[in-house]
Amino acid sequence: MRKLGFLISGLLLSLALACGGGNSGGAPPAAPATGLAYTDPTGTGWRLVKDPASTPSRLLLNLVGPTALKTRGAGFNLKAPVSIRFGNFIESAWPIKDLGVYELWNTDPYPGDGSVAVGSDPLEPKLLAGGVKAGNVLTVGIFQKDRRASAKDSGHPLCQVALEFDASAGLKAGDALPLTITKSKHMAEDIGAFSMTPTAEMVRKANLVEMTIAVGALHAN
Amino acid sequence: MHGSLPRLLTALVFALALGPALVAAQPMSPSARAYHLSQQPQRVVLAQDNLMVRRTELGLSEREGFIPVHAFTNSEGVAVVRLDHTFEGHRVLGSQAIAKVPLGGSIRASTSKVMAGVQVEGAPTLSPETASAIALRHLDSKGPLKGAPRVERVVFPAQFLGGIATTVDPETGKVSVDRKLTVHARLSAPYVWAYEVRTHLQNVHDGPKALTYYIDARTGNILRINDALEHQAVTPSTGTGKGYYNGNVSLPTSLMLDSTYALYDPTRGTLPNPDLQNYTPDASGWSATGLQAWYEQNDAQGTNTYQSFLFQGNAGNAWGDGLPFTAYGMEGGANGQTAGVDALYAMAWTWDFYKNVLNLDGMDGKGTSVYAQVGMTGSYFRNNAYWDPYSMALGLGTGTPTGYGSFTEFDVIAHEMTHGVTATTVKFVNSAGYEEAGLNEATSDFFAQMVKAYASGSAGNTGATVPSTGADWRIGAGVGHGTPLRYLDKPSKDQRSADGWYDGLLYMDGHFSAGVLNRALYFLAHGASATPGADDFSPYLPQGMKGIGNDKAARIWFKTVTEKLYSGNMGTVTCLEARDQAIQSALELYGESAGGFGLDSLVSHAVENAFGAVNVGLNYAESSRTQVRFADWRNHDWIQRNHFSDIGYGHKQYLPVGERVNPRITVLNNPNTAVTWTLGGPSLYNGASALKGGVINADGSWTTPYTLGWYAITATSKADPNQFAEGRAFLVNLDTDGDNEQDAVDLGPIAFSWYLTNGLNPAHSMFNAPWVDDADVAAFVDAMKATWWVK
Repeated sequence: MRKLGFLISGLLLSLALACGGGNSGGAPPAAPATGLAYTDPTGTGWRLVKDPASTPSRLLLNLVGPTALKTRGAGFNLKAPVSIRFGNFIESAWPIKDLGVYELWNTDPYPGDGSVAVGSDPLEPKLLAGGVKAGNVLTVGIFQKDRRASAKDSGHPLCQVALEFDASAGLKAGDALPLTITKSKHMAEDIGAFSMTPTAEMVRKANLVEMTIAVGALHAN
Repeated sequence: MHGSLPRLLTALVFALALGPALVAAQPMSPSARAYHLSQQPQRVVLAQDNLMVRRTELGLSEREGFIPVHAFTNSEGVAVVRLDHTFEGHRVLGSQAIAKVPLGGSIRASTSKVMAGVQVEGAPTLSPETASAIALRHLDSKGPLKGAPRVERVVFPAQFLGGIATTVDPETGKVSVDRKLTVHARLSAPYVWAYEVRTHLQNVHDGPKALTYYIDARTGNILRINDALEHQAVTPSTGTGKGYYNGNVSLPTSLMLDSTYALYDPTRGTLPNPDLQNYTPDASGWSATGLQAWYEQNDAQGTNTYQSFLFQGNAGNAWGDGLPFTAYGMEGGANGQTAGVDALYAMAWTWDFYKNVLNLDGMDGKGTSVYAQVGMTGSYFRNNAYWDPYSMALGLGTGTPTGYGSFTEFDVIAHEMTHGVTATTVKFVNSAGYEEAGLNEATSDFFAQMVKAYASGSAGNTGATVPSTGADWRIGAGVGHGTPLRYLDKPSKDQRSADGWYDGLLYMDGHFSAGVLNRALYFLAHGASATPGADDFSPYLPQGMKGIGNDKAARIWFKTVTEKLYSGNMGTVTCLEARDQAIQSALELYGESAGGFGLDSLVSHAVENAFGAVNVGLNYAESSRTQVRFADWRNHDWIQRNHFSDIGYGHKQYLPVGERVNPRITVLNNPNTAVTWTLGGPSLYNGASALKGGVINADGSWTTPYTLGWYAITATSKADPNQFAEGRAFLVNLDTDGDNEQDAVDLGPIAFSWYLTNGLNPAHSMFNAPWVDDADVAAFVDAMKATWWVK
């Protein structure tokens, strides 16, 4: 019996190491995960912050920018392990939700620069979209298209994305689920300038501004 | 009134009570026809009164009404009256009722194309003169107009906004976007005041043109442009031939007052030709009334001088030499006359067919005279034939010495003259982008066969029925020196035309999408084989069918296009609607009930099978059929509703360049919804209105090419390979920030250039255009959703 007990202890240790648990104390194997847990990042720059409306099975992350930084929109690519599913929002039919800070609509049905008149249309297309690309990379963007709309203070939840727990993925409680921002840019207040007279010419060029978004720690639990 | 009818007419009333089927088999006597014609004016009034009383039922207000615009009395003695819908006295485009007023019977009116809920705000702020000036500025004529533009104030429904127009290059057969006729307009209201401006050109600089403009009466925007000339497009090939089609024939000519003869038939046509009446009669006795053959005077190099002359001054009344045309600069001589002989001979037969068989007086039902212009040259018209509805005239090309023969073949002429019938009744639109473009051409092809069969009969030019022999079911076999321009029995034998309907048929030029109706009418008249591999075998009707003969088929389709269908040049008639109405025509003509209406019969079953055999609707007693559709997912979104290409391209999809994508498709009526994707599609066989590129991967996805533009893709049902759909994907470049990756971050730069007159960077546009607007926004998000969508 003694010999058998030694063998079993050794086997448990081997299994624990193989699973990456690293618990050399011979603790029981991790229980299957039932949800997601997220710890917000620190700092006051661009960051993904957990929304209070999150549930264990659907984690909602809000993009928040630096207070007092005026911007006209932002976009980023977020890579997650394949065991995480990115979710859609019913109200937008996209994997990104507008939180109402940016003005996504045409602000005036008749642009004052002499260009084509645009009618008021409830189906008017907006610069709000997203998708999941190969490698489980969520790509989302939200931008004001009308240059007459003022830039907005970025220090508020600007948009939201959803990460969903996949019960079929075989996650164990405590499993680390690293999230990585592979690209992120925002549109600054200065969007360039354009002259109408005497001829239509660009006066000042502008570009999207690269930025760093801090991401918190995500675990299965 | 009835009491005073002579005995013969009393008998006719009885015959009508027994039903149209009985009447249809017996030609109407001259006296009965005369009586019915005398009653036509009163019946027109009755039709108008009937519809005015029904306005509330039809959803119309007191500001609306109906005005009769066309009437004829059909072979059953029924007055068929077309009435335009008006709003405050002005025509509502594309909205018309067709009323049928029988002797002593109740009025039946087809009102499916009458638009309810018409409301037009405000009043025109532009004058008709300003609208005319806008149209003329766009027309940009290089030579003089044929006459002053005709301007009419109308109500324009937003659904008829113009879209992408295409044209066929006569030299290459390629289809390309006609930038002159393409309209990018938008409307915020469903109905607006507009001016219809009809322009007409025929001069050495511009050639013949008949463009109708619709100008917004408040903004001056061009809302739509219609090309009224009915062209017959051909594809050049290499061959040799001769330009003499009818052999030795007798011709209806005139002995003129100067004792010479002319190719001028004063016995056919009672109203002057609207074009020729502008000419001043000379001392020869000529007038603008009557069928006549004219020629275009070319120079010795074959360049049209745009001077036209009647074939006349012939001392012996002997015409032509029967040889292929070679006499450029000498068109009025014996060699040039050969084309005039062929033309006038076929014109007379066509005229008589419509008058004697179908009781239609001339192409417009009014007896308006028709003339042909042979010897047409120039890059577009040399290898072509067309019908000009404003001039009521045919233009017939000379062909080329090493290519096509003269376009004066019998069936080509009957085809073009039939455009005169449809142009004054159903008014099919004639450009690719609409299914009815094929219905238009097929109607002309089919009746050309019926005229050919009629002319083969032994009754001279007076018979009232169409023999079931005599049609060869080919168009332009002589023009092509033995290779027909089109086949009706198996249209795909030309390597271009469609044998059956599929979603995407509308992308074809009408001359080739015509294959669907051509084959249906061939099956209806002639029957279909049950032998796989035979030209007249259809996989959609493997059991085959028995034909009902030319005469019944001709009457059913004539009733359908002259009494049932209406487009108003707006492109609203589909193959399925044509099929449904043809069944109704069959029931009315050959139904088995006492009244002839409502009960099906072997003839109506044949119509169902004939259309089912070309994949339009179900066969008789068939319960279900697999369908593959591109259209169902878009559901009238912003792109379909507002984008300039909403006509004909409403179910296109945007996709990114250089990405692995899965185009959207819907399979109906089959639990197995799997499809096989292929690059390209049937429409590419007759031109390059779209590209073909990329790679279909093993998993069925499509790796798109890197070049922007329209691409054709085809999805075929794995469960039923006879069912497929051709769609259009417009590939756009989403990489607006230039980092070599297409992602949602690229939404940003669109904002930099949005609605600037000149964008900051062409890369900001989905179309690499110098401007950016909501079309770019819509294209971007559509492509993204289609490619990286989240379940």
